[in-house]
Parts: sequence; C-alpha cells; structure tokens
Amino acid sequence: MASATNFIEFSRPFINAAKNVFETMVFTKLEPQKPGLKKSQVSNGDVSSVLGLSGELTKGGDTIEYRAMLVLSWPYETYFKVASAMLMETYEEYNDDIADVGGEICNMIMGNAKRDLAVMGYSSNMAIPSIIEGPKHTIKYPVGTTVVEIPINSAHGKMFMELCYAEF
Amino acid sequence: MGLKADMKILVVDDMATMRKIIKNMLGQIGFTNITQADDGSTAWPLIEKANKEGVPYEFILSDWNMPKMSGLDLLKKMRASDEFKKTPFLMITAEAEQGNVVIAVKAGVSNFIVKPFSAQVLKEKIDKIFNS
Repeated sequence: MASATNFIEFSRPFINAAKNVFETMVFTKLEPQKPGLKKSQVSNGDVSSVLGLSGELTKGGDTIEYRAMLVLSWPYETYFKVASAMLMETYEEYNDDIADVGGEICNMIMGNAKRDLAVMGYSSNMAIPSIIEGPKHTIKYPVGTTVVEIPINSAHGKMFMELCYAEF
Repeated sequence: MGLKADMKILVVDDMATMRKIIKNMLGQIGFTNITQADDGSTAWPLIEKANKEGVPYEFILSDWNMPKMSGLDLLKKMRASDEFKKTPFLMITAEAEQGNVVIAVKAGVSNFIVKPFSAQVLKEKIDKIFNS
C-alpha cells in the first residue's frame, strides 16, 4: 500500500500538467474538483485514455519501486468538444479522426509530469497510451494499486482523471 | 512572414492528432507546402525521394517517440549523410527532461520544442532556426 503522503505528492504534477496541456492545446481552463477513492472498474466516461508508468522512488536515501497508471475519461459530448477545439474542426461522433486525441493528451500530460516527478526523486518509464471507447467500459487497474478519481470541470464539459499508484 | 510561404516542410509524428495540430499551426504561421509522415521509417524514403527529384525538404519537424524509427534516429540518419547534414530539423517531444535536450543537441538538432506548445511558440522556434 502506498503511503498517502507519497500518493498526494505523486498526483500533483499530473494535475498541473493537465492544466497546462488543456490551456495550451485545447484553449480551456480545467477546474479540478475534490478527489475520491474509486472502487469500481467501470469508467465514468465513454472514452478513456490509459497510460502506464513504472520506476523507482528515491527518498531519504531509500529506493522503492512504484507502479502507476494515468487514466483520463471523457463523456462523449466532452470528448467531441475537446477534439473539435484541438483539431479546429467540428466533430459530433466518435471516428478514426479523433481516436488518438485522448492518447495524445495523455501522452503530453505524462511527459510533462515526468519532469516534475524526476525533481521529486521518481525515475519513470512511460508506456504507450491506449484508448478504450464505449459506454460503461471497464478499466483494468494494476493489481494492488489504489485508485483516486479527480472529477474535472471545464468549459467543454466534465471529465475525469484517475491515478493509481502502488509502492513495492 | 520573413520565410517563404511555400518552403517544403515535412511533419513526422505517429499520432494523426499531433500531425493535424502541427499542420494547422504551420498554416496559421503562413506555410502552405506541408507533407506528413507517420514514422521516421516512412519519412526517410520521402526525404531521399524528394532530394533525388531535386526538390528536397527544406525543414523537418519530427516527434521524438515513434514506434519504428524514432525522431532521434531519423535525425542521426540525416546528419550522417552529406545531403542532409544541414537540413533544419526541429525535434518535438512530450518529455520535458533536460537529458533529452542534451542528447538531441549532440545529435545535431536545430532546435527543440516540448509539447504542449502554441502556434506562437512554434513560430519563435522556427524564426530562431532560420535566423541564427
């Protein structure tokens, strides 16, 4: 079980990176709401982008391994508006043209967060993002991880950031 | 715009979303002659072909992380050849770690841009490459 302090500290770079990515590439501000523990594997969105991360945390002379995952989930309406803003075209249905929008957003957030995580003592290896699409889809979280969900409001609608994290 | 609008540009990224964003931004800056490739491995034959035909690419914008041939490998391949030693090459990456910058500079990159970025930042990077 991860220490609560490390989890809170670990999640901060992702929230800051998400704000930066959305302001720069989607032209909207994010308003993160109160985080909560997520027990269900069912997504609260219709499109989810999933990206794994693993590495070591060096703190106070000790080194521990960690495993984490970043999930961004959007209801269809929000996803279409985000894709439309990013690509400067109007999209009203899910298709191949916008299938990797979520993955690219996840990629940018993770890439930016990595820099701050490195300063905090985390070495990290990024995986390649994958997309899950469909109402009430399930997300397979790594065994033994705690999942925190952060609802986020924006001018394009609601979305959800999920972070799971475990130390070994 | 000081640079010619029809400068031949190649955008290399495995993500269609990012290629479209960069193409849109280049369009906003004023560029009109833009070709896309989805990997370093598909970009290289395009670069060679254009050169053989006497109309070489004048500017390459490439993502770093791509599945078959990375942007770094594409850059090294270009810098190892006499024809493309000096072709302006802007590396795009999602990873903002300092180590990456050093690696790219050693490999001969012209400039470096970290995602996310605005059209204005892209324009400034291009201006630096062509005005230095």
